[in-house]
Amino acid sequence: MRMGDVDTIAVLGDSALHRIGAPAKLAAFTLVLVAVLLTTNALLIASLAVALISVVVGLRLPAKTLLGFAAYPALFAALFALATTAGPLGVLLVVGKALSAALAAVLLTFTTPYPHIFAPLQRVMPAILGDGALMTYRSLFLLLDRMDHTLTSVRLRAGRPRSLTSGARMAATALSGVLFYSIDLSQRTYDVMRLRGYEGRLHVAPQPPGPVGVRVATITVAAVLLAVALVWRVWWNLLNPISWLPLAAALAALLVASAIRAVRTQKERP
Amino acid sequence: MSHIHIPDGVLPLWLVALGWAVAAGAIWLAVRQGERADLGRRVPLLGAVSALMLVAMSSEVIPIAYHINLTVVAGILLGPALSVVAAAIVVTLLALLGHGGVTVIGLNVVMIAAEMVLGGLLFRVMLRLLGRPRARWAAGLATFVTLALTTTLLVGIVWAGGAGAASREHGALDPSTLRFENPLSGGVFTNAIVAPESEPASAGTPLSVGRFAIMVYLLGSLGWVLEALITSAIVGSAAKVRPSLVFEGAEHVVTSPPPGDEGMHP
Repeated sequence: MRMGDVDTIAVLGDSALHRIGAPAKLAAFTLVLVAVLLTTNALLIASLAVALISVVVGLRLPAKTLLGFAAYPALFAALFALATTAGPLGVLLVVGKALSAALAAVLLTFTTPYPHIFAPLQRVMPAILGDGALMTYRSLFLLLDRMDHTLTSVRLRAGRPRSLTSGARMAATALSGVLFYSIDLSQRTYDVMRLRGYEGRLHVAPQPPGPVGVRVATITVAAVLLAVALVWRVWWNLLNPISWLPLAAALAALLVASAIRAVRTQKERP
Repeated sequence: MSHIHIPDGVLPLWLVALGWAVAAGAIWLAVRQGERADLGRRVPLLGAVSALMLVAMSSEVIPIAYHINLTVVAGILLGPALSVVAAAIVVTLLALLGHGGVTVIGLNVVMIAAEMVLGGLLFRVMLRLLGRPRARWAAGLATFVTLALTTTLLVGIVWAGGAGAASREHGALDPSTLRFENPLSGGVFTNAIVAPESEPASAGTPLSVGRFAIMVYLLGSLGWVLEALITSAIVGSAAKVRPSLVFEGAEHVVTSPPPGDEGMHP
């Protein structure tokens, strides 16, 4: 996982989702999550995943990075599913749930700078938790940079690890350096915060809500996904024989999104 | 076994809700204790150590791609109250990256907080038994024992959710309804694990907890050894370079007044 990519894409991206505020995206994320929870049909969960992939493709978000992030939890879910469930459809269902939920989460985090995701949550959180979360964000990218540099210098001195013990020793050396740096960093930050008059609450400036049309469209798409999951959940015995229908629709959406992406990319080329 | 890598909608609702309730209670207690001890002053330290855990979790030990957690190191540095808050922050951030599921945040907070608090406490006990010169050994042993215990907690959680996770009423895994037909067929092929006509819908197949336990104990034990080795090396070097960090906890060192303002603050 290259966590630094999340911040870069969230801050510098210019897709339609980047232009709207966090509350609309948090609402849409919640609706999709409920759809994932409700679904017990392997084809339907596959449709949900394909629909979310078409959103990634259609909005011209960096698909490789986003899908890489979403695939990571799916891999762990596959291990869990293979160890616990019976049959390939059971595995597909568990992996599909992990992939769909992760895709919904990365669509939120890759299009919204982290402080703006936490701003609405910070209002209901205890001060130490909200401020700690914001300080974690501030420290994270500094430490990631430091870890990269330290690992590079350790590898330049010791070469690429060939065994497990040398790999573990290398990781421990790098992490020890980053640990001391993080403690010094926290002390410096504390000094700066005191000088600036920190009184136990950090404030994040609210983000503009963005165009109404995009907000409505985002929540509508999520609501449609939830409605399909709900209808299939209630009338599952009637609808299971035509479970291929949502998947076919999602694949068609993916085709259209790919075509739009290709045309727009072609137009922008000099 | 830091993190429950179980996706949303697999564990039964009662277990997920119990996880949230226990996590909320633990956070409330930690925040109250924090208010009494003025732990708000430790916010930068909390942020730095939580970020350190995330950095560790995003780094892999080559060549087996195991990711380190540093939960015991963080538990030693932060102490019990801040550990619970740090666990909540780390788990929420990971869930926002799609790693670990949103509905299982509560259970994951319980798991990680348990690992941090238990690891920190066991380290203090081991240190008392072995003495300060053997801080490295104390950290390694504390990590190994803590990870073994929390892995057992994970197996317990899956066992508790196992039967419920398979039944429809909990909105979770239900192989008995996974029946579908080929779109071109009108019956060219029909794939059914159990045909709904022949089995009641609520009779789902329970999760195989035994197989899951074998997998996590086999794969996990390698992780415990690696994590113990790395934790022991980190704590060992910290004990040499900055002994107060290891023996008193990091919160004792973050009280320096701003430069040039030394005489103004108590």
